[in-house]
Amino acid sequence: MIVLLRQDLNQLFRIRRTGGKRTEQESTFKRLRPLLFAVIIGVVIIWAILTVVPLFGWSRIALILLDNLDIGATLFNFILIISLLGSIMVSATTVGNSQRMEYLLTMPLTMRTVFLEKTIVVILNNAVLFLGIGIPVFIGLSIASYAPLAGFSVLIFSVLILSLVTIGVSFGGLLGLFFSRLLAGRRTLKQVGWFLGSSLAIIATAVYYYTFYTSDGAGVFEWVFELARSFGLSSRFSPGYPVSTLSLGILIGVSPNPVDALVGLFFIAFGLLLAYVNSYVSELAHYSGWLASGSKRTSAKDVRKTHTSWNPQPIPGMKFDQTVSVSIWYNISTIRREGRVLAQYLMGPIRFVIFLVLPFVAVGEYAMGLTPYFILAAVVPFAVSYGVYFAGYETVYEGRNLMTLQLAATNMADYVKGKVISAIPFVLITSIAISILLFFVGPVILPYLLGVPIACVFICLAAGAIAANAAAIGGDFRAERSVLRQRGAAVQMPIRGWSMLRAQLVPYVVGYVGIYSMVGVGILVTTLYGAAIGLVAAYAILGLFGLVCYSLYNHYSHSAGIKLAQIEASKYL
Amino acid sequence: MIESLGLTKMFSEFTAVKDLSFKVATGEIYGLLGPNGSGKSTTMRMLLGILKPTEGTARVLGHDIKTDIVAAKRVMGYVPEEPILPERLTGWEYVNYVSDVWRMPRGPEREEEIEELLTLLDIRDASDDLIETYSKGMSRKISLVAALIHGPKVLILDEVQAGIDPRGAATIKEILNGLRKKGATILMSTHVLEIAEQMCDRIGIINEGTMIAEGTMKELRLQAKGQSSLEEIFLSLTGGPDMQKIAEFLGGVPS
Repeated sequence: MIVLLRQDLNQLFRIRRTGGKRTEQESTFKRLRPLLFAVIIGVVIIWAILTVVPLFGWSRIALILLDNLDIGATLFNFILIISLLGSIMVSATTVGNSQRMEYLLTMPLTMRTVFLEKTIVVILNNAVLFLGIGIPVFIGLSIASYAPLAGFSVLIFSVLILSLVTIGVSFGGLLGLFFSRLLAGRRTLKQVGWFLGSSLAIIATAVYYYTFYTSDGAGVFEWVFELARSFGLSSRFSPGYPVSTLSLGILIGVSPNPVDALVGLFFIAFGLLLAYVNSYVSELAHYSGWLASGSKRTSAKDVRKTHTSWNPQPIPGMKFDQTVSVSIWYNISTIRREGRVLAQYLMGPIRFVIFLVLPFVAVGEYAMGLTPYFILAAVVPFAVSYGVYFAGYETVYEGRNLMTLQLAATNMADYVKGKVISAIPFVLITSIAISILLFFVGPVILPYLLGVPIACVFICLAAGAIAANAAAIGGDFRAERSVLRQRGAAVQMPIRGWSMLRAQLVPYVVGYVGIYSMVGVGILVTTLYGAAIGLVAAYAILGLFGLVCYSLYNHYSHSAGIKLAQIEASKYL
Repeated sequence: MIESLGLTKMFSEFTAVKDLSFKVATGEIYGLLGPNGSGKSTTMRMLLGILKPTEGTARVLGHDIKTDIVAAKRVMGYVPEEPILPERLTGWEYVNYVSDVWRMPRGPEREEEIEELLTLLDIRDASDDLIETYSKGMSRKISLVAALIHGPKVLILDEVQAGIDPRGAATIKEILNGLRKKGATILMSTHVLEIAEQMCDRIGIINEGTMIAEGTMKELRLQAKGQSSLEEIFLSLTGGPDMQKIAEFLGGVPS
């Protein structure tokens, strides 16, 4: 196990230079960059704490911490939930792609050991961000603290955060495996199941906003923590509570409560048990072939195969250029045939909606009247993410297939356009669903509802093309061969660093500016000159916005096409 | 010794391997031949414990693959048809990693053995490069080094010589012959019938998951009623090319 773990970490965070002549040598700075970045961030956090704490005085900080251990518990429980949400398909994906680990599975180890090691890698990968930020915070606070054993809080925090993430990842993985087991061998049912699951999640998000809208107007922060309390997230017996009381408690010099210590130990043991059960079930799933797709194969001698004339219509009623058409067909077919990938893609934006929109919501009761605008804000992550997934990620996951495309000397810009367009049906469905919700809760937006799905299509066109271009620049075209980056993995993105930022940031800015300009200008002009002129103004803005998005779509598809056509085979083979 | 005892593997409704029984004796090279999709790799994966047999079992040096797979894996070495290796390791690191997993004692002796195998297979110069830079043949060679380094008593080789240069192929042939003389049990699949004819003591031909012929070359010739080469025997048992269709495709050119 240790040997496997060491080599996996060596591969993930390779710092040592290789000696061979074939390998492209990276500069020492480039190899050490992630480590340097982490150290700099850590030093800045510690410096900031040591500068700020004396301004308020440690006693005051200690009092604030003591009074808010419940909130600490809620926050730590959120870490668990984030790990869980991000890991729901991770075990099923690992098992589903275990053919890539054949060299490991033939080693004299139980498969359980191999899957346990992979789970540990995912846990470490999930925990690295929380530890990377949390450890410097605790170091800073323990230096500032007067408590004699404050330094131990760093250790306690690290161990307990690891146990929280272990619970989240392992439980999430088990849920995914359980779902896979339920739908094993039933391909159509599986796809419908994934879709229903995704839809339910979307509806749950919408209901959440609706409940929020109809609640009695209490402060949003209070409302959020009340909700957390009602879910037991600040309960003494929740996993986050001992993390809060033990690590923060020791920091401020409060003797640890034996019950909290016992609960903490219980959750450490529970995490370890769940990780083991996860690896055991993964072994069972792989060895028994749970995840088999259930497709039928028959001998050519038994059944004479007949094919209908090849003329796929990926989007009914729409006619496209042949390259665009086949690209749409290829993209939708390959995504649709992998239920877990489709679910990842459809569910992905929900996380954005929750994590990006919620902080905006949490500004207090004054925000209540703005609810329709927050709901409107939720359409942008869907439009952007579907563009990024279908055009950006899927361009990267072409992998070795790029050779076929390059040899075909096809117009790669058209191929990229096909990928972008393949996201549009999904964007339309989601944006129409959100528009229906707006119809009920946002009368003020009613006149512009027709524009919402149209704007979403334009956002998706721009986002998809920008993401495809970013993928062509910074895509890891070997991502399929990495356990953490492969298709359907929720942990890591196939587009690297700055390119990923480029793929997401510009589309979000374009999307929010566009959609709020349309509605904002409409409402403003309506107030000044009447409803009819307001409506014309809003749709004029939509037209302008559409033109901008369409030109971005053309420009970046072309740019991505050129880059993809010129990518060296060594990048993807 | 390998004993396959009625191995059957079903994927949903498709039977990939059907009641397959054969034995590979100690010190024997056994060739498992068959058309694409006939069940060769599935059989090997069941023997390696990667796939669960739907029915039947197998024993590797007496270790049952269903109940004692770790012990069975400990004595086996495997080279897959398409080796997927950890790409961010160098060849040298990978072989050492495998040696560690097999708990081979570290030290100069082990390193000498690795160097020897790397040199023998002409891959020593590239051993400090990341595996992601390797060609298919090189990946297969490093995979073979990893399979041999822990001194397996049983070798399972899926198309081991495919994509390897002539010098490498000849080296592999000599190594396998040497290992056979030392008492290793070798199960190999290949589509190069010439290799099978030259190297294998016995051959099993499977088609659609079922063993359709088995024996030494002499026994196979008898079964195939007078066909002399393995290619002729193979084609007569599994079906040869459709010359009529080929001629049609080529526009009526007589073959």
